[in-house]
Amino acid sequence: MGAQSQDSGGGYASEINITPLVDVVLVLLIIFMVIVPVMMRGYDVSIPGEAQVAPPTDERAEQIVLHIEDASCSIVEPPQGPGLPAGCVVHINDTPVTVERLAGEVAAVYAERSGDDRVLFLAAQPALNYEYVMRILDAARSQVQDLKIGLVTAG
Amino acid sequence: MQRIKNPKMNSTINVTPLVDVVLVLLIIFMVIAPRLNLDQAITLPETQRPPDKPQTERQIVVSITADGQLHVNDQPVGREQLPQELLAQAAAIGEAQVVIKGDARLSFGHVQKTMFEIEAAGFKDVGLIARQSEGS
Repeated sequence: MGAQSQDSGGGYASEINITPLVDVVLVLLIIFMVIVPVMMRGYDVSIPGEAQVAPPTDERAEQIVLHIEDASCSIVEPPQGPGLPAGCVVHINDTPVTVERLAGEVAAVYAERSGDDRVLFLAAQPALNYEYVMRILDAARSQVQDLKIGLVTAG
Repeated sequence: MQRIKNPKMNSTINVTPLVDVVLVLLIIFMVIAPRLNLDQAITLPETQRPPDKPQTERQIVVSITADGQLHVNDQPVGREQLPQELLAQAAAIGEAQVVIKGDARLSFGHVQKTMFEIEAAGFKDVGLIARQSEGS
């Protein structure tokens, strides 16, 4: 009897108590589970520098510019809800397009192009709201894979 | 004697794991608190299908709050100091991309101006960070 109790006592003392370790690891796990869903999402935009040599005129004619102007698309105030601005008309080069049909029109324009030719230049008036411009940009690139976005340098 | 002593020892609550957990929580919240404050101040623009843009070590985050205050990696920076600050950060991490977290209430011109300033500092590509709208 005496020997038995001594044995069990000795056994307890020699075991490592892993409870605090498990506690800490679980807390860390929970914290990382909370942080990970906050993944960033965003659009890559290239800004052609002014020092860059202007492309030859025949290539320049091929450039496709998305114009968003206050006159045909008044989006100065921040949006109140989700979705594209109603009744907004933008221009692909000189062709007016309503924002609802923009995705299809842009897809049609880029159907013949591939690789490095798939660049859409964005020319939005400075007074317009940033969030609406981003939504229009999102709609424009939604049906074209690997569409690069460029920023028009001169106002 | 021994029989009386043992139950007494068992009756005390072991606070060591509790203290461990609380200290770890405290440290983690100390680390993320400044970051959370800035992220709460900025409402990112909501779009339907923003592409994934994984956070990496080689990104310099330029935040623009609704009142136009610039931050580089969560540290407030004046507009005049932006190029120097960007170059200093880029020198520390090597090849870097600048990503812009702009508030949705800003004008496009404000963001555009900042993009041109970033380009003038020698960065050809920037990322515009957005948030996927709920329920799409």
